[in-house]
This record gives sequence, structure tokens and C-alpha cells, in this order.
Amino acid sequence: MNQDIEFIVGSERRLLDLIGRDEIIPLLAAAVRSGASGASVLDDAGEALWQDGADEIDGSSPQRRSLRLEGEPVGTLQVSGEPGLVRPITDLLHEVIQILMTNNLKRMLTTEIHTQVVRQSYEELLESHQSLERSERKYRELSQSLDAQVKERTRELQLVHAKLLQQEKMAAVGQLAAGVAHELNTPLGFIASNLHSLGKYVSRLTALLLRIREQAGGKSGALCALDLEEQWRVQKLDFILEDIPELIEQSCDGAKRVQRIVEDLKGFSNLDGATLAELELEQELERALRVLSGKLPEGTRIHRNFEPLALVNANPALISQLFFNLISNAIWVSDKPLVLSFRNWTDAAGLHLSIADNGPGIDPAILPRIFDPFFTTRDVGEGTGMGLTVAYDIVHSLGGILSAYNVQSGGACFELCLPPQE
Amino acid sequence: MIEYDEFEKRLVLKVVYYGPALSGKTTNLLRLHELLAREQRGDLMVLDTKDDRTIYFDLLPFFLQAPSGLKIKLKAYTVPGQVRHDATRKAVLQRADGVVFVADSQLKETTNNVESFQNLERNLKMVGLSFDSTPLVIQYNKRDLPGIVSTEDIDRVWGETGIPVHRACALDGGGVLETFRALLGRLYLGVDEKISLESDHGLSREDFIAQILRPASGDSGEIDLREGGLE
Ligand SMILES: Nc1nc2c(ncn2[C@@H]2O[C@H](COP(=O)(O)OP(=O)(O)OP(=O)(O)O)[C@@H](O)[C@H]2O)c(=O)[nH]1
Ligand SMILES: [Mg+2]
Repeated sequence: MNQDIEFIVGSERRLLDLIGRDEIIPLLAAAVRSGASGASVLDDAGEALWQDGADEIDGSSPQRRSLRLEGEPVGTLQVSGEPGLVRPITDLLHEVIQILMTNNLKRMLTTEIHTQVVRQSYEELLESHQSLERSERKYRELSQSLDAQVKERTRELQLVHAKLLQQEKMAAVGQLAAGVAHELNTPLGFIASNLHSLGKYVSRLTALLLRIREQAGGKSGALCALDLEEQWRVQKLDFILEDIPELIEQSCDGAKRVQRIVEDLKGFSNLDGATLAELELEQELERALRVLSGKLPEGTRIHRNFEPLALVNANPALISQLFFNLISNAIWVSDKPLVLSFRNWTDAAGLHLSIADNGPGIDPAILPRIFDPFFTTRDVGEGTGMGLTVAYDIVHSLGGILSAYNVQSGGACFELCLPPQE
Repeated sequence: MIEYDEFEKRLVLKVVYYGPALSGKTTNLLRLHELLAREQRGDLMVLDTKDDRTIYFDLLPFFLQAPSGLKIKLKAYTVPGQVRHDATRKAVLQRADGVVFVADSQLKETTNNVESFQNLERNLKMVGLSFDSTPLVIQYNKRDLPGIVSTEDIDRVWGETGIPVHRACALDGGGVLETFRALLGRLYLGVDEKISLESDHGLSREDFIAQILRPASGDSGEIDLREGGLE
């Protein structure tokens, strides 16, 4: 699997990439409030990037400090005013800006890695998030602009989260494609083979027909009949005539199967669209099962305990994805011949549908966390840890609840409950 | 992949310290930071560690200038050695111009060394770098410990590969500069081939190495050569 690499770790940065206006202006303003006549930050070419107060110099030259990134000068801090007063202000301001830059750089580098290392375990993400927060806190004591930074970081993390969700969708589409290719191959295989046989039959029939036309040209009736009989045998017409309808029927069947698979797939093709439809949940479940049929281990048994329930108004693609994820999960954990049990019912809370498997069940210790993003019990590289999160998000977006528990016979059960719709 | 900006007269090079967990990669950078002149280097940046284990990476930049005015920045990174941080390792390895492989000399670490080396080969390929054309130097670290692989065995394993091997005790700095020097030498050759450092920029291999390896002042200026290379 080729993971996308979007950033080059450690690519070169400039001052503008690193500090935001919202962060620096309050600092420069603070210097002016404390007595400087002007404070500005210049880029490496000496152009002013940000400024507060007047840059005028009353005779004395301004204080200048080089701003360094990874030890390299990338700009200059310049503060003008009465030297005795302004020097310590400049030193302090310089220190604060340097810390701000270093912190921001670290944050950017770690965020980049986060984006790349999507499979890293949930624990570590949490850990480094916390330590990011710790370094954030240090900075809070030095600057007022924390709020903007936190927002920015939250946005970055949300971006990472959104990317992961998208990736999960793409992964599902990939699995789907593999399953479908498998499913399509069988009917397409025999359609092709039947057409091949039919082609051969047609050439035999043609040979016979040519012969008839030739003979109709004059020979005596008896001879003609004899020869035809012989040709009939040579071309194996009895067998051909018997086989043709069967081949045609088989091929039509195959074509219908292909058609149905394509229909099922259409359900998935509009993941991000907002199309709503009145759906029968059970049918959508069957659809997901069919799409996954190539993945179901041999000997899988499926129990259905369905009663007719009200229709649900939802985006079919999302519902397909929901069932796809839940069933994929069951397939993944199964360690013996898989038994899936589906059941639906209605009560005051709304509409229920449960999917139970006969796998090892969910360790009670991790039960509270299985819907968390990034959480996975699979080995690195085998799951994004987002499948159940996506399922949860989907049910949530419908105003419902997805819960997980272990059933008495041992397996895990996922139950969704959708509120009654008016 | 050398980052060269002819217009800005700027060249950025990247070297990566690779190797199994706890082999001493971060320690190597710490020692370089201590031993080399402040004017030639930036600060050592250590991104979040957990119990001294690198989670992201460490970074130590070096600077030098060629007589032509070309500014050269060389960034030395360490990767996290722990197996589970493979994706991070890959990310850090991208576009590396040279690699130091830090092996742990302890016999009980042999398997880890081998696995990490195989991991390096695999990851170089995955980030689109060729193993054969990436300058590589091997360091056998922790020579001070008991129960370590013998020099003869090291020779036997690496001798015919032609990859230079250095022994080191990064804890007290022995062999650290020598390893780095060997890598710089190899790195220079590759860069010189591409952008003619010597003929176009007047920077010889010796100057390139000597500038970066300028010892920190206050130091005697002598480089500790106790653990010489096996080259
Ligand atoms: N005895 C001895 N210990 C060493 C030597 N070099 C490093 N160490 C110790 O080995 C431990 C790990 O060193 P690090 O430099 O943090 O290892 P690392 O390769 O960066 O490890 P990761 O970040 O987990 O990949 C530290 O306790 C070092 O002090 C050495 O030459 N001799
Ligand atoms: Mg380390």
C-alpha cells in the first residue's frame, strides 16, 4: 500500500510561514504600550512585515535583534525609542518571539508527522497531543494570543480527523472494488465462455446451411436427404440444438447478476451527496452483504430475524457504508466459521437493528473506546482505526445511537437505534 | 534529493541517523552539538520524547559557506528507532542525502540491528531513494559495554560490502566525529558530482568537512581519535 506523502519533513520555512499576524501584533503593541515609540518585524530582505507605533527615531538608532530559525537568521526585530528604556523591552520581546517561533515550528512539524502517520496508535496521538498542550501552556504565560493558536491547532487536528475519515471511505471503496471484481469475474467468465461456444455452434450451423443451399441446386431428393443426415451428424447438430437454449439462458442470468451487482454498487457511489431516500434498512443490509459476499469466509451462516418495519429517510450511500463497516468488522474478528445474526424490532425509543457475530467479543476493558477515532486492535497497517468511528458518526448524523455489547453466547453485537420519524 | 537553489545560492542537505531503538542516535546528535563550534551549527531541536525515546525526530542544523558565496545548510535528523514508529521513520527519511546507521554493539541486539537495517533498505525504496546511491556509513555504538560483537565479526560481515564502519562510544563521544566525518566525505562526493562544489564553488572536500567539524572553542581543538574507523 502506498501511503500518500504530502509534506517533506523539515522543508525550509520562512518567517511568514511561522508567525501569524494575530500572534505578533499584540506583542508589538505591548512593547509600544510599555514605552517604545515603535516596534516592527522585518523579513530577511529588510522589508517590514508587521509594525506597531511609529518607526521614527529621535536621534538614537533603533534596537535590532536577529530572529533565528533553526539557528539561521530569518528576520529582524526592530524597536525604536529611548535606548535605556527600550533595550530591556527589546530583549524580552525578542525572547518571546523566539519562543513563539520555536513552538510554532515544533507544532507544525509534529502536525505534519501526525498527518503522515495516520496509523499511529490512539495512545500516542493522545500523548503527544497532551504534550503539545503542555508546551502550549508554557507559551500562554508569555503571550495573550493563545486563543487564536488553540483555534488554529484545533482546526489542524480537525483537518487531520477529516482526512482520516476520507481515507477510511477510500479504504472501504478499495475493498469494495476488490470484492466486486471478484463477484463480476464469475458471471463474466461464463458469459464469455458461452459466447465462445455459441460462436463455434454458429459456424457449424452455417456449414450445414451452405450445404443445403448447394444441394437444393439439382441432385435427386434421396441423395440429398442422405447427405443432409450425414452432415447433421458430422456437425453434431442434435447436441448443439439442445445446448444453445441453455447457454443463452445462462448468459442472460449472468448478465442479470452483473446488472444487480452494479445496482448494489450504485448505492455506494454517492457517499458525499445529500440525496435522501425512503429506505428499508433490511434491504440495505442485504445489499451490503451482497457486496461483501466475496469476503465472507466459506461456511458463513446468516440468521435473519426480520419483521417489516417503517421506512427510514436517509442517504442510501451512508447506510450502505454503515452496514459495510459493521459487517467488515465482524468478518475481520471472526476466528471460527462465521455466524451473523440480524434482528430488527421497534419500541418506544424507535427503530432497532442489531448485528451480532460469534467472534471473540469485545474486551470489556476497551469497550468504552471502540468508537474513538484512531482506536484499533489490529496490527499497524491493517486498519485505520476509523471504521467503527465512521459507523458511529453515520448513526449519529441520523439522530440515532450506535451501541456495542457482548452477547451471552460470546460474540459482539452492534445495535443501532434510530428515533421514530414523523 | 539535494535541495539546490541556484538563484538564491543556497543548498540544503539532509542526513539521517537511522538504527534500532536505543542504539544511541539521539546521543550522537547530542555529542555533535557539544563538540562542534557554535558558529557552524544551530540549536539542537528535540521534538517530544517519551522516557528518552524519540517519538518524532531530533534535528541539528549546520551551516557553512563556499568561497563562491553558496550557502550550505546541512540538517542532521534522527529517526525514532522503535518498531512501531515506522511511518514516522519513513517521513523523516524522505529526501535524505545520506544515512548513518547506528547499530547497537551488544550481542543481544543483533537481531534488532538486522531488522532495523532491513527496515532501512525497505524504507529507502519506499521513499524513492536508491540504496546503492545513498551515501551510507555504519556505526557500531556502545563499544564500552561488555558482551559486544567483536571487531573481527564486524569486519567479516561488512568488509566486502565496502560500506565504511566505525566503532563508537557515543556516551563519551568517542567515534562520533569520525562517523560523521566519514559520512560528510561520502556526501560531498555525491553533491560535487551534481553541482560541482569544487570547480564551480571553490569548495574542496577537505574544506567542506573541516568547516562543519570545526571544534567548539574552549576545546583543545584535538579530535578524540581513540576509536578509529575501520575504513
Ligand atoms: N553504555 C553506553 N550507553 C550508550 C551509548 N550511547 C548511548 N547510550 C545510552 O543508550 C540509551 C539510548 O540512547 P539514545 O541516543 O536515546 O537512543 P536512540 O537511538 O535515540 O533511541 P530511540 O530514540 O528510541 O530510537 C541512553 O540511555 C544512552 O545514554 C554508548 O556508547 N555506551
Ligand atoms: Mg532518539
